[in-house]
Amino acid sequence: MSEGNTTAAETRKPIASPVEVTPPAGFVAQALHDPFEALMGPLFERVEPDGSRVSAFVADERHLHADGYVHEGMMMTFADAFLGGAAWRGSGDKPCVTMSLQASFLADVARGATIECRTKVEKKTRSVMFVSASFTVAGEQVMTATSLWKVLGER
Amino acid sequence: MTNTPFPAGFSPVQTTGFGGFAGPVMGGTEADGALFLLDIAPQHLNGDARLHGGMMMSLVSIVMGEVASRTAAAKEAGSGAKPLSLNCDFVSAGETGERVEGRAIVTRATRSVMFISGTLKVGDRLLMSATGVYGIKAAGAK
Repeated sequence: MSEGNTTAAETRKPIASPVEVTPPAGFVAQALHDPFEALMGPLFERVEPDGSRVSAFVADERHLHADGYVHEGMMMTFADAFLGGAAWRGSGDKPCVTMSLQASFLADVARGATIECRTKVEKKTRSVMFVSASFTVAGEQVMTATSLWKVLGER
Repeated sequence: MTNTPFPAGFSPVQTTGFGGFAGPVMGGTEADGALFLLDIAPQHLNGDARLHGGMMMSLVSIVMGEVASRTAAAKEAGSGAKPLSLNCDFVSAGETGERVEGRAIVTRATRSVMFISGTLKVGDRLLMSATGVYGIKAAGAK
């Protein structure tokens, strides 16, 4: 199970990523507290004028398959990180863990591409968050995801 | 447990790019078919010191992707497989130092697609069950 951001994490020191990447225009680097996300990062974030959030990463050598395109494992890691954040915010800052995540791969993603993610909370109950997301490269949709999150401490 | 050597005949799979950087994932064979192993190390964890959900999905995607590619190549030399859809259910957590075993089977194959089912386990404990639909690329196709 993966952990969304927890309130405890807020007080911990962020973990640095192994490479420096210039943030895409309008984005800032996210503070990462999960060692595996830091390893694959940096991950970036932008808050839109309407308050919605967009996350992004820039595909480099570390994210690729032998065929030269971004690995589905990296795309799903990115999804887990940002959809988890959406579940956490949507549940009123309660920690959430992944129960299920489904991804459809619509197009190959090339090295150097900036992959953006936008999320939507489809439904929330006391103990479960339903979060969907769309992933785009230069406006073209490359992946969609749906996910279920358990709100910890609720039943 | 991470000090336990890997069984004879196991070697790293997907050693370039993402697989090499996220792994190493070791591949070998057991009586029933292919077996993949990952020793959970500090870089694979989430902020709660458990196996990160992204790494669980990465591992199962490597396990199912290897089985899909090998099955496609066995049918027609030079052909491969790419995921169209993956569904991952998070059944229980993995802890640092544990050795995760990954397995996958082809539940159905047509000329153009393959249905694959995979699991990640530590001993008898199921961490993840997953299914994938893969498109088969003919030899020479992009």
